[in-house]
Amino acid sequence: MGTIIETYQLRKVFKQAEVIKSVNFSLKKGEICALIGKNGAGKSTFFKLLSGQLIPTSGDIQLFGKSGKEMEQAKKRIGFMIEEPAFFPNFTAYQNLEYFRIQRGVVDKKRIHKVLEIVGLAHERKKKFKDFSMGMKQRLGIALCLLSSPDCLVLDEPINGLDPEGIREIRQLLKRLNQENQITILISSHILAELQLLATRFVFIKNGKIVEDLSRTALDEKSKKQIRLVVNHPAKAAQLLERAYPDIQFQILPDQVITIQNHIEVAGEINRLLVENGVDVNEFRTEVLNLEEYFLGQVEGNNND
Amino acid sequence: MINYLKSEHYRLLRKKSLYITSGIGFLLIVAAAAVLHYFPRIDPTFPYATSTFFYSNVVAGWVLIMLFALIFNLALTGKDLSVIKQSVSFGISRNTIYWTKLILTLSYFLLICLVGLLLAISLGENLLNTVEHSVRNFLIACFNMLPIVLSGFFMIHSLRMLNAGESIIIFLMFFIFYLSGNILRALFRFIPGLDELYKYAPNMLLNDNLVKFLNHESAFDYRFWITGFVISALSLLIGVKKFAKKPID
Repeated sequence: MGTIIETYQLRKVFKQAEVIKSVNFSLKKGEICALIGKNGAGKSTFFKLLSGQLIPTSGDIQLFGKSGKEMEQAKKRIGFMIEEPAFFPNFTAYQNLEYFRIQRGVVDKKRIHKVLEIVGLAHERKKKFKDFSMGMKQRLGIALCLLSSPDCLVLDEPINGLDPEGIREIRQLLKRLNQENQITILISSHILAELQLLATRFVFIKNGKIVEDLSRTALDEKSKKQIRLVVNHPAKAAQLLERAYPDIQFQILPDQVITIQNHIEVAGEINRLLVENGVDVNEFRTEVLNLEEYFLGQVEGNNND
Repeated sequence: MINYLKSEHYRLLRKKSLYITSGIGFLLIVAAAAVLHYFPRIDPTFPYATSTFFYSNVVAGWVLIMLFALIFNLALTGKDLSVIKQSVSFGISRNTIYWTKLILTLSYFLLICLVGLLLAISLGENLLNTVEHSVRNFLIACFNMLPIVLSGFFMIHSLRMLNAGESIIIFLMFFIFYLSGNILRALFRFIPGLDELYKYAPNMLLNDNLVKFLNHESAFDYRFWITGFVISALSLLIGVKKFAKKPID
């Protein structure tokens, strides 16, 4: 599988602050990779380094295997949308895309109508960009990314400002582009549930460092479940659990709640153990953690490292 | 570069500010000529209804021309700088962006200046009392002004590309093009060899140019080109170097 984006020991320092810390990252052809991190984690800075908006302090970037001046040519195969899309406020969507069509040497004029249709802006013929809603601006940003038929999309928070229907449409569009056109996608968003429905790989970034890099399967495995139970004697239950399962990981929470993070496969045994030893189990269920919970757990957890 | 130039041209021709700024410039020229043309009808002793006086307003109006250059540049690059990020991320080099924007805005600026010049000459020669050799002297005076005006345009462009605010640009322009002569004179008056340096300052040269024009003594002066070259080279060099490393948000 070819590598589309690769960074080696990529660093960015602003005055005294190191915003990106020796990041080694690679994006393989065909992936939909989600970059997840809180505000200020370094997602946009990382994207800006890839796009050339920022110059790295040190390290190397390769796009389609090209670095240095050759990389400029390789960038033409990538559609970047970083932070809020910027267009000429007094131009319509068509005029804005016409400006970029000429600039990017796209010969086919009909391509503009096609990409506007793809993102659902084809009917907005006379409306100027300054009168667009946030969602429309995002759509136009995606349309621009698609204008030159790229092999890869790098999208920073592309569903910002979209309504649920718009989010669903964009998600379907990105899936379709990935599956039908083999477009590789690197995407960040703070709406984590959306990435969970879309991405095939999940990269977690915290304070400018990649803290976790998981495939969908690994993520599902890692974040899948915990047992939550409500008992009448949490202390007694804890003793019984520790005696029966020496490596058990559990937490005692307020309101007589216990959560158990491993041995989920023997949930029935655990229930029986407690009941047979005189502990009343008032509630017993297996919870599935979603990506957001996993992400918050992972990133927050690392805060205490 | 050609594609970028074409796209910028597409944008520029659709900017209202291009037409508004040019229109105001031409209107000012016509208004000045009209006032000088009609004033003698009210006061027959009015002595300034001559082409020389009319042209002298252009030669003396270099501050206005610089201001026009600033407004023109602001109008064409102003808020649109944020769109540059889309071009950079498409692999268009910062050098290409810097020089293309300069070439295009400068071309239109010079074109409008040329039209303004021709308009002034045609109005001066047809509506006002003509003075012998006034057109020749006017053209020489304008030719002397050219490198200074160009250096001002380059400086404005570089500062705009580095996202400098209007007030900073105006302050720097005022300092370099209006105050530098007096400052250099005060600083170096007791230092032999440098005590004549102030004569190369833009305001000193341009005032000298006006005096010579009014005395019908206009002649080509190489000092304008030396000063213009130094300011232009420094502005462009600093501009290109800084823009190459500037974060683009």
